[in-house]
This record gives sequence, C-alpha cells and structure tokens, in this order.
Amino acid sequence: MSHTASIRAKARELLESGDVTCVIGYEVGPRGWTRPAFIENPEEVGRLVWNQACTHNLTTYLPGRLRPGKNKEPAKPVAVVVKACDSRAIQVLLAENQFTRDQVFVIGVVCPGILSGAERQAIPEDGPQDGAPLQARCRRCPERVPVVSDTLIGELVAPPTAIAEEDELSRLSGLNPEQRLAYWLEQFDRCLRCYACRQACPMCNCPTCLFERDDSLWLGMGTGLNEKRAFHLGRAYHLAGRCVGCDECERVCPMNIPISHLNRMLAKEVEAAFGYRAGLAPVPGPLVTVIDRGEGRP
Amino acid sequence: MTASPGPSAAGLAAFEPKILGFLCTWCSYTGADLAGTARLHYPSNLRAVRVPCSGRVAPELILRAFDQGADGVLVLGCHIGECHYDNGNHRTAKRVPVLKALLSFAGLEPERLRLDWVSASEGERFARLVGEFTEALRLLGPCTWRASAPPLPASLTWVGIPPGADPAPGGAV
Repeated sequence: MSHTASIRAKARELLESGDVTCVIGYEVGPRGWTRPAFIENPEEVGRLVWNQACTHNLTTYLPGRLRPGKNKEPAKPVAVVVKACDSRAIQVLLAENQFTRDQVFVIGVVCPGILSGAERQAIPEDGPQDGAPLQARCRRCPERVPVVSDTLIGELVAPPTAIAEEDELSRLSGLNPEQRLAYWLEQFDRCLRCYACRQACPMCNCPTCLFERDDSLWLGMGTGLNEKRAFHLGRAYHLAGRCVGCDECERVCPMNIPISHLNRMLAKEVEAAFGYRAGLAPVPGPLVTVIDRGEGRP
Repeated sequence: MTASPGPSAAGLAAFEPKILGFLCTWCSYTGADLAGTARLHYPSNLRAVRVPCSGRVAPELILRAFDQGADGVLVLGCHIGECHYDNGNHRTAKRVPVLKALLSFAGLEPERLRLDWVSASEGERFARLVGEFTEALRLLGPCTWRASAPPLPASLTWVGIPPGADPAPGGAV
C-alpha cells in the first residue's frame, strides 16, 4: 500500500472512531501545489496525500489548536502527519507543556527527503523523483524515521550514509568579525519584518511575540537595520536549544535571508556546551534548567 | 590596587570605551559599593545598572545595549551557589556564553561581552575586573556593531519654510 493510501486509511479510521477531531496532513491544491490540509470529516480523507513535496512542518498548528478553552477544558485530540524533523518538534513542544501526549496522535512517515522547491510544482503522488535535488536540510539530515509516532507509515530504512558538509557555516565561521558583521548586515537589511519565519516556526508559539509589542521599552517594531538585526538575533536566541532544524523559517522567507545558519550555529554551540540536541526526547533544554552536577561551569 | 587609574596614566589615545554594567544588587552592586567605601580607583567608563539578579539580564537588553552604541557589556552576578534566588545565576551562566557565541557569529568581537562573578565582599575584585575590561576594550577600539541609518532622501529632508511662503496653507491658524 502506498504512503498516501496508508495515511488515508489511518485518517478514516481515526475520524470514524472519534478518537481525533481533526487530521492535519497534506493535500494537493488546485494548482498542483502541495499544501497543509485540515480534515475533520471522514468523507474527505481522499484529499490527503503524501509526496516528496510535503515540506511544511505541520506541528506548527498544534499549540494553537490544542490550547485549552476559555474555561480551561482541554482541547480535543488531533492527529498530525509528521516527518522525522517534525517529530522532533513534537518532542520539544511536549517538553514545554504545550499539550499532552494523549492530545496528539502522531502519524509518522518515513521520509525519503523533500525536494527543493517542490511545493510549488505538481508532483505525482508517491512518484519517485530520481535526480531531483533534495532540500539542503534533507541533504544534511541524518535521520529518516520519526523519533515519536503512534503509527509508522513506510518501512524502516537505514539512515543515509552521505551527509552534506556544512560548507556555508564553516565559511562564515572562518571570516573575521568585520566581514561577518558586513555579511549579516547585508542579509538583515533585506528583512521586511513580515514575520513569516516566526509564523512558520513550531517553537514560536508565544501568544504575544516579544518583538511585536508596541509598548516595549527596549525592543523596537521598527524597520531600521538595528531593530531588524535585534529581531533576528533575538529570535535565533529564543530558539537556542529548541530549534529542531526543520528550516521552514528559511524556506518561507520572501527575501531569502539565511536564517537557518544562525539556528544551526546555535544548535552546534548548545550541543558542544551541554551535549544536548533538541527534540530527541521530551525533556527541557539546557538553557531553562539549573546547572547540573555533570555540566561544566564557566 | 591593580586597577588602572585612567587613560592619561596609560598614555593611550583619547578613545574612552562606553561600558554598560549589569550588577546584581545582592552581590556585585554591593561589591561596587565596597570598592567605593574602600576608596579603590577604577575606570569611570562603567555605567552601572542595578538589577535584582543577573538572571534578570535578558539577552534583548544586552543586544539593545550594543545597538545603542555600547563598546562593551559587563554582566556581574553572584558566584554559583550564592544566588539570593537560589539559581538565578545558573541561568545567566548558561545563557550568556550562548549569546556571546551568537553575537560573535553575527560579527561582534566576543571580548566585548563579559560575564563574571563578584561577591559582596570582593570590592577589590570588582575594581580589578572593571579595570581589566576597560583596558581590553581600549585595545579593541570603538565598536562598529551599531548600524548607522542611511541618509534620508532629499525629498524627505526638512529644509524649512521657504521665505515668503504662506506659513499656514489652507487658511488654518
């Protein structure tokens, strides 16, 4: 059975039994682009698909969807289709108590890697796309199987052997401070403050974003270069030890700002300092806990 | 006393770094007080901000300080295990090095941000740290972090009311 058929069968079963109120998955829109889909009716499971253009991180929708109601009653469970990278985001959100484990039914898909720019092309369902370039995050990705899932779709596969090198990151680290400053100012200068990066990010789930408050004394909503840089550096910092590297922020950026470099650099830094990789287990990150006996002191 | 008395004695150029210091009220601020009562000299480049705990120093505050033209930021808290709030400085100890790595990646010299521990009885240590930090920043020179705004186009620049023009067009008073 193809992945698409398996996902549809599972979604139908879940919706008909009433275990979940909604299945968050992927569908192909009228122009052939793959996009997120919210299926609440068992009759509509035929819309769900799986292909190599399923780039969106659907866990972004979970914190909002599963937020408790006005009189604190817990939200009804939902099911979500995840790839390996998205499943790590679920672990981080669980560690941060955004929802409980029984509120989400995880349909894990063994991911063959997502094609570069594929969400804007018509991709045949389940069709193998030999020769098409994978996204940079997938060339770097050492995992194919979700770390958390209630049902797994696809056969277990060995992790890929050839992992792409972090060329750009090591090039930037090799520059001197003036060159790096010039590089980043040039990148941040293009920012429109459209907040697409924030909206696409599963970890950016504050009800009111610190960077979008109009009464803040020390963070501006302005579009000056300093404010834009403070926004990007501040956002990257808030993701330190939490970012799972799905690189959705970079994909949705209309100005092609290489935001993922900042996130990857911080992930490496946190791993080097604390031996912690975000999302491998539902435990809080090292930046929100006290110093442990095993950890080094500055 | 090991603190440098000032730039004139060191014979350095006229550059005086602007340093923003976040001092924990329970230890470092009291330590600075002790340095004062003990009449220790330390450079006046430090602008002290008294905070309830070094854990209060949000990374956005440090970013803001550099954006506003600080040449260096000094965060001083209690030694690990001596925090008034038990573990506020644990968080500082973990967060500031990560922030330093981020700022360094974005093009700031990492020496411009410094985290250290000063207890209430260490007035001498406080004076020495401030002296060392000021010296290090003098050698680094002015900070180039702050991006200057591009000049406004001529169409948006206020040139004043041309002579002879109606000062209140449209008849408004």
